[in-house]
Amino acid sequence: MNVSLTKKLQLYKKQLHDMNMAAKQTQSKQAVFPEQIEFENDREIHRAAEQLGASINYFENQYVLVHTEYLPLDTKIGQYALSDLTSLVQCWQSGYAQHPLSACGLSPEDLLFFDTETTGLGSGTGQMIFLIGLARLTARGIELKQYFLPGPGHEAAFYDAFLRDCHSLKNLVTFNGKAFDWPRVKTRHQFVRDQVPKLPAFGHFDLLHASRRLWKNRLESVRLQTVEKDILSMGRSEDVPGKMAPFLYFQFLKHPDAKLVKGIIEHNREDVLTLISLYIHLSNKVMGRIECDAEESYEIARWDQQVGDLEHAKQLWKMLSAGNSSFKNQAMLRLAELYKRAGDYHSSLNLFELVIKENDVTDESACIEAAKLLEHQFKDYERAIYYTKRAIECLHHSNQVTKSTDNEIDLKYLKRMDRLDQKRLAELS
Amino acid sequence: MIGHETIDVLLSKLRENPNIVHWHTIPKKEAHYAPFPESLDHRVREALVRRGVKSLYAHQAEAYQSVMDGKDVVLVTPTASGKTLCYNLPVLKTIITKPESRALYFFPTKALAQDQKNEMAELINEIGIPIKSHTYDGDTAGSIRQKIRQAGQIVMTNPDMLHSSILPHHTKWVSLFENLQFVVIDELHTYRGVFGSHVANVIRRLERICRYYGSHPQFICTSATIANPREHAEALTGRRMFLIDSNGAPSVRKHFLIYNPPVTNKQLNVREDEGLAVTRLATEFLKNKIQTIVFAKSRLKVELLVSHLQKLNSGRQDRATICAYRGGYLPLERRRIEKGLRNGEIMGVVSTNALELGVDIGQLQVCILTGYPGNMASVWQQAGRAGRRQEDAVIIMVASSNPLDQYMAGHADYFFSRKPEDVRINPDNIMIMMEHIKCSAYELPFKMGERFGGQEVDELCEYLTEEDVLHYQREKWYWMSDGFPANNISLRSAAQDSFAIVDVTDRGHAEVIGEMDRFGAMTMLYEDAIYIHQGTQYHVDDLDLEERKAYVRKVNVNYYTDSDLAVQLDVLAEDEYNSFDNEKLEKGYGDVSVRALPTVFKKIRFETYENIGWGKIHLPEMEMHTTAAWISFSPGLLDTFGKEVFQGALVGLSHLLRHAAPLFVMCDQADLSVVPKIKAPHNEKPTVFMYDKYPGGIGLSEKLYQVMPVLLEKVQEMVENCSCESGCPSCIGFVNEGRMAKLALLRLLKDR
Repeated sequence: MNVSLTKKLQLYKKQLHDMNMAAKQTQSKQAVFPEQIEFENDREIHRAAEQLGASINYFENQYVLVHTEYLPLDTKIGQYALSDLTSLVQCWQSGYAQHPLSACGLSPEDLLFFDTETTGLGSGTGQMIFLIGLARLTARGIELKQYFLPGPGHEAAFYDAFLRDCHSLKNLVTFNGKAFDWPRVKTRHQFVRDQVPKLPAFGHFDLLHASRRLWKNRLESVRLQTVEKDILSMGRSEDVPGKMAPFLYFQFLKHPDAKLVKGIIEHNREDVLTLISLYIHLSNKVMGRIECDAEESYEIARWDQQVGDLEHAKQLWKMLSAGNSSFKNQAMLRLAELYKRAGDYHSSLNLFELVIKENDVTDESACIEAAKLLEHQFKDYERAIYYTKRAIECLHHSNQVTKSTDNEIDLKYLKRMDRLDQKRLAELS
Repeated sequence: MIGHETIDVLLSKLRENPNIVHWHTIPKKEAHYAPFPESLDHRVREALVRRGVKSLYAHQAEAYQSVMDGKDVVLVTPTASGKTLCYNLPVLKTIITKPESRALYFFPTKALAQDQKNEMAELINEIGIPIKSHTYDGDTAGSIRQKIRQAGQIVMTNPDMLHSSILPHHTKWVSLFENLQFVVIDELHTYRGVFGSHVANVIRRLERICRYYGSHPQFICTSATIANPREHAEALTGRRMFLIDSNGAPSVRKHFLIYNPPVTNKQLNVREDEGLAVTRLATEFLKNKIQTIVFAKSRLKVELLVSHLQKLNSGRQDRATICAYRGGYLPLERRRIEKGLRNGEIMGVVSTNALELGVDIGQLQVCILTGYPGNMASVWQQAGRAGRRQEDAVIIMVASSNPLDQYMAGHADYFFSRKPEDVRINPDNIMIMMEHIKCSAYELPFKMGERFGGQEVDELCEYLTEEDVLHYQREKWYWMSDGFPANNISLRSAAQDSFAIVDVTDRGHAEVIGEMDRFGAMTMLYEDAIYIHQGTQYHVDDLDLEERKAYVRKVNVNYYTDSDLAVQLDVLAEDEYNSFDNEKLEKGYGDVSVRALPTVFKKIRFETYENIGWGKIHLPEMEMHTTAAWISFSPGLLDTFGKEVFQGALVGLSHLLRHAAPLFVMCDQADLSVVPKIKAPHNEKPTVFMYDKYPGGIGLSEKLYQVMPVLLEKVQEMVENCSCESGCPSCIGFVNEGRMAKLALLRLLKDR
């Protein structure tokens, strides 16, 4: 009773189609250009390559389109010139070695600015990278190379060309490369690993991470385009939105026409160039080469402290403490904390007391910190009791609604009071 | 304190009970042992001895040898026969000799994988060789996932995880796929129907990936007793399988009793509710401190029985611990119950078929089945829970009043000689297969001429190219879509055009409690329907066709709803046709289009099946293509019996066929529909259609077509043996002109 699949297919075509439509609906409401299916046509791709100004690199029986361009160093990208990269890397040499963005020990030519376009955002084996953009400094200016995959059957050529060109991938500069681009490169490389060079060790500067630290509160979402527009004040005239890329690429595969993908390629090119500008901008901020607002300074200091560069953190917090921004208090508390850890209890206590004095209603933690210092370092129980009382007042003041956690804190403070009372009594007797 | 009566005393009391319609004794069976195989690593052997395994059962040794000989093996293993060792021994032996080898185990549920992991961990610990064995499922912590992917030697998972996580990310599992030596599929019989057809395709995808990485794993499957273990394993894995169905494990003497509750309403031929009878019987054992397990079909029944049984504790000093066990309990809770059962702290447990599977609870002395569980495999799985130590075990099946139960009660010899049912899957169901072709293309491009589970798929790939899902280039089809196809398929639910069932009892915390295909939704989730989900009743507030959501609210009412459908059946292609019984009857099989328009629904009271109200359903017509078997009669019969009577006979026949079908195919009621037509459009004859309720069919109607003559024989016996006069739930149901219709049907069936 074996009915051929062919017959079944005919019978069920309508139902299958409805099913596919239903699936598409749930995936995306994007319109797909309803055009006919055609087979790929090498000649059309060659013509497209010509129109895109790309050369064709052959590899075994496959090929890849490579577009190469050299930008003179005086080219401006937003507020920076490409030549700024050299002086910037120079500047990294003189300090800040621990910083995650630091190019200390590197020459400007080592940095590889890297971005990809994919056939979908998923992370499974079915999504491909079809465009890689790569920029780096050379003697002829900034070299910008874009590798374009002319069809799914050419991935060996694609990765071979890319891997042969870049040698080392130790110093990639990306926007979310660690979580997005690189895992996809690894996945796709698995499929051609027997034909192309091995993937070199990967190390990188993730500008998404840096941007998030500095600007997450002021940006609606921390995406490259938002950063570019709102932070770097750059605009794009005619941009193809990134999420359109898969659809346009699928369209191109059916009808290899340069016009379909020109926009994506330009989009990728601008992304890569923005990375250069953003890297310069972020580095300048971190090294204090350009002005930072209070929030930026505060976040940079926090970052410095986290990577162990206490000197720089302290400098920034001192500056903020002396100023008059909304970050003044927080900076003073951070600074006091830092002094305390360094054993400079006097400076630390002074700062805590200053914070308490300068604010009518304060965070009770400052009071408690002061109380702790007074109790353990200065054995001044009288004043320790005073600050603990203030802390309890603050707690009650700031919270009309008593939550269970606050209750716990309350209890803890009361316990401290009891202990202090006992200590004071012991001292008196 | 009152003294406890022994099992022998209780048994002799039961002998006097007039409702025991049959008493079957299964003699004691001695164990068949075999020595530990020579090639088994001595550390494994010593570890086993330390754990109290002094020698292997014959079937365990045979399994070990067959697997070591390189065969793909399917083992039929009754409850408590030591099946785990059958696959663990060859796997451990191989990994000890060749540590880079990998084994992939999959279990139908996460809980079973967890159990097996614990058991394996204990054994590995005892052996003293560090072998990395882990579960990998939704509960696995993110921090150890990568380690498992790279270095896990034994990975225990479930088919859903394989489908949506492991296969689509196979590049992260290179070391597993390159070195995959064994695929262990436990509880094979649970992979049936739609679920099984999906899983067969998941295995086809697994095979493609293994081939890509150059491995060719051996399959080791275990199954409960079913009619076609080898055929089923072969359909599921696509391999030639070697069958081991001997069982060397010992068993005690067992008394298998069939209890038929007394008739309480003679006129309607209605019997006492089986739940009451079960409560009475179980109480007898429990209050005498005899460990008892009760099986019930739904969660609701389980909870009801437990609350009834716990009443026996009132006023007693030595209370018996009785609890419920069902899906939906937290793992910790389940562990507690399992342990309590093993060490005897828990005296009684009421369970859904969740305890049919290989969960380790040791063995109890008495097992009571609330109604025929629907298939023989379940009967023996459940019965296998009884039989501990040296004493006799007792199994009591309490019949309900549905035709199948009554038939079994009246034909005990048939029941006991009966072979278990066929398990059917249809991996080539085009709707299911197409979805997996997509997933498979996502995982690896298809080469021209490449086969998928033995099927040529070029045409399907071409079709998907037209649909803009694949792209053809240089003799290969590539996935070319930004979607993730595995997301659109759930292995355990019907077609992907599915409706979410949203519980809005608590307005603030709406919760999705399940999903249903469009066809099911329109027949079960219409406005004002009472929908029963895992034993809980819900009222359907609204069915949103556009958003594909049904909003339901918990209620507690004493009725259920049943919809009337105006069903149009058109035969699209007749694949098989035959007349039999001297051309008086004809049967057919093929593809049909089912167009259904829900019209009204009835409210039916639970205990009495009284019709207590009705409502209109406002929904559009829907269409489904599937496979069907049908049986047609001569149109002349209409005149012979009169239209009204003949129609009653056809409806009665449908009622019986629906209940008799599970005698031949293992399926849930929801998988199959039976529809009578006084004049079928394709042959203009009175016809009863039986169709698979899943688009494209899953092989049920195909099997029913093959067994049609025997199926009708059983139906005939069911009518003949029913003592009612004008139709009752145990035969033709309640139809118009019941008395005449029953006679007409009897004549129809006799004259065949």
